[in-house]
Amino acid sequence: MPLTPLTRPLTAEDAAHFLRRTAFGATDEQIRALVGQKAQDVARAALAFDQSIAPGNPFDPMQGATPGAAIQLGRGAWLYELAYGPHPLREKLALTWSNHFVIATDKVRNVPAVADYLNLLRRHAATRSFERFTLEVAQSPAMLRYLDNDQNRKGKPNENFSRELLELFTTGIGAYTENDVREGARALTGWTFQGGRGNKQYLEQPRFVNQTQQHDTGRKTYLGQSGALKGEDIVRIATSQPATATFVSRKLHRAFLADTPDDAAVRGSAETWTRSRGDVMAVLTELLASEAFYASRSRIIRSPVEFLVGGIRTLGQPKIDARSLLNLAGTAGRMGQVLLEPDTVKGWDGGREWINDTTLLLRMQVAAALTMGSKAPNLDTPPSLLALTGQERPAGAVLLSSLKGRQRTYLSLISPEFQLA
Amino acid sequence: MTNRRDFLKLSALAVAATSGMPGFLARAATQAGGTKTLVVVQLTGGNDGLNTLIPYSNGAYYAARPTIAIPKKDVLTVTPDLGMHPALRPLMKLWDEGHLAWMENVGYPNPNRSHFASMAIWHTADPSQAQGDGWIGRIAEKIGDPFCASNLGAATPQALQASEFSLPSIDSVDNFQLKLPAGMNTPFESLLNSPRSGEAAYLTRATRQMLKNTARVQENVRKYKAGATYPDTKFAAQLRDAARLIAAGVGQRVIYVSLGGFDTHAGQRAEQDGLLGTLAGGLSAFQADLERQGLARDVIVMGFSEFGRRVAENGSAGTDHGKGSVMFAFGQGVKGGVHGSSPDLEDLSEGDIKYRQDFRGVYAEALTRWLNLDARGILGGTFTGPRWIA
Repeated sequence: MPLTPLTRPLTAEDAAHFLRRTAFGATDEQIRALVGQKAQDVARAALAFDQSIAPGNPFDPMQGATPGAAIQLGRGAWLYELAYGPHPLREKLALTWSNHFVIATDKVRNVPAVADYLNLLRRHAATRSFERFTLEVAQSPAMLRYLDNDQNRKGKPNENFSRELLELFTTGIGAYTENDVREGARALTGWTFQGGRGNKQYLEQPRFVNQTQQHDTGRKTYLGQSGALKGEDIVRIATSQPATATFVSRKLHRAFLADTPDDAAVRGSAETWTRSRGDVMAVLTELLASEAFYASRSRIIRSPVEFLVGGIRTLGQPKIDARSLLNLAGTAGRMGQVLLEPDTVKGWDGGREWINDTTLLLRMQVAAALTMGSKAPNLDTPPSLLALTGQERPAGAVLLSSLKGRQRTYLSLISPEFQLA
Repeated sequence: MTNRRDFLKLSALAVAATSGMPGFLARAATQAGGTKTLVVVQLTGGNDGLNTLIPYSNGAYYAARPTIAIPKKDVLTVTPDLGMHPALRPLMKLWDEGHLAWMENVGYPNPNRSHFASMAIWHTADPSQAQGDGWIGRIAEKIGDPFCASNLGAATPQALQASEFSLPSIDSVDNFQLKLPAGMNTPFESLLNSPRSGEAAYLTRATRQMLKNTARVQENVRKYKAGATYPDTKFAAQLRDAARLIAAGVGQRVIYVSLGGFDTHAGQRAEQDGLLGTLAGGLSAFQADLERQGLARDVIVMGFSEFGRRVAENGSAGTDHGKGSVMFAFGQGVKGGVHGSSPDLEDLSEGDIKYRQDFRGVYAEALTRWLNLDARGILGGTFTGPRWIA
């Protein structure tokens, strides 16, 4: 069964919920602009993004004096786009995909490769073809390097990418055998890249190459299909498995509906996925206008990046200087979320895993910096409680209303309500 | 500004507000008892056991690894068949004193070569992968004190998840303190007192627990003065924080630290050699510190990785995911030596070392004979293993 669409016109709390999930948060004015609209129209409009980016981004990774510095600047550039860019849903999806097709910048230290990878996530943010998306990821120098497929050669297989393609990118555990991993690795032999290797070439553009002389042309059997399979075949077979529809739909539900997704709702999206042959745009359009989506308030614990960007967007995108933005990117890391560098290829688990003593303390520090610090924005007209908490009458509303602008905003940012979306 | 009054006020609030806590969190920490501490070291990514405790007398080892084997002349001999990786030299003193144990061929039935499935199995002590909570989380439930175990690092591993709560993660002891702006104490208290449900209630509980934990640590850690110089690594800094917590006597029975990067599919020698050096440097400083503080009698260290790696090297001078591997333990309470037989390189399982000792037997020894806890209740069964506690 496809997901049931929401039929009522959006209320203020519906609108606040939609923008918390798809735009990290919003001002009272942005929320009010959606009130009374149809859920389908709102979802379609949010998904109708292009590739334009925020003007005036102060960070240019190519100016980095060392590979490490360049990567830091790249993180700053992305945080700027997340906080100030014209298409927050595109960036939210790119962030979600960066936690699905994981790479890590401690291993991929080449700046153009990382930039290409991020642009690939943006271009396919609401892709019409998950197969095409996966193929481009598989051939991106960043991924080839991260999962060692650049070293996967005929007779000398390296199984790293082949394993994660199944376990983490497509079907998930339980839908394949160890033999599929080995045969997939054989099919992927020869995919590598040229250029951009080593610390000195960190600004050089690497290019995908298919080294046919390193490809194992023999017969393979992969997920029940046999033949002289190539890398493209492996990607096509893996992405078209029924298990992939469910596995990736569940990831989308974790990003947009709940930390602990509802199985029936996931099945609904998986059916749409299967019917549309992996059309993520179709799945998302249905998802973001569904009753299930609007019934899922406060079921996602905001990640560190969502917390920071949510704070900035809820405060009306106050100007924050470049150094402070870099500090914020670093703080997100200390809270467990270094952009483009999850701890492992599985990505961040999210949910309650974001919360512990240390991360709570850091969230309180960030909230204080955004509202009370020496560079904090003017809060004479503080955000409304609806913008801050997603509710018109949140817990502690009387107390919050009695406080001055800065204090009210600070306390709201460290409240359980703001931590949730 | 933070001051002592704020701490006291907030911690008093946290104590008074335990009625909304899940059962085990609300009980007083009277059962914590005991003075022994277990430090668990996780080597993330699948450490290659064969290049850690090296079967240097076995020709099959050198045949399978033409480029990445550790040359015999570099091996730190510990038995006629086995020797330690040269980067582990800082741990040789412990070996010579009879306080370093190696457990050979450790694993579990139906090995899983996924990093995450396998790590979850080690964390939950459940190869069927049915359990969500961790074995250390269950220790905390048994003891009845959510602060009896903590992780040093930014993210809480699954091993420290209890059914209703995750145990503390302390990224840095120095920063583990609350800084509320002036005048915000009372409103913050009131805000936390509003009734909530679902994830909002979870966050409220987590915040209260944090207030309590930070107060407890800060009131005690000032007693500590380092007794050794630690290397300049994040791993060593976390071990130094572990020593501080132990010296502070805040009641921690299990402390968890991790060192990542062992997923050596390519260029293994450079990667693993460096990591083992970081490991040994940090651990030997930690041990020296404990000895100088007079705490060494009460602390042991136990290390593991989610799996070992394939016997034969791959075409990238690395190794792919394997099965059985080594564990290590050290401390004055540890019976040194190699527990278990040398790996059999002629009888492999899909190219991997077969496991011959179940890791839950290794855990059981620490639980019953070191922490004096009922291992059966924590591990969900009776497991016997090497007698590695002295």
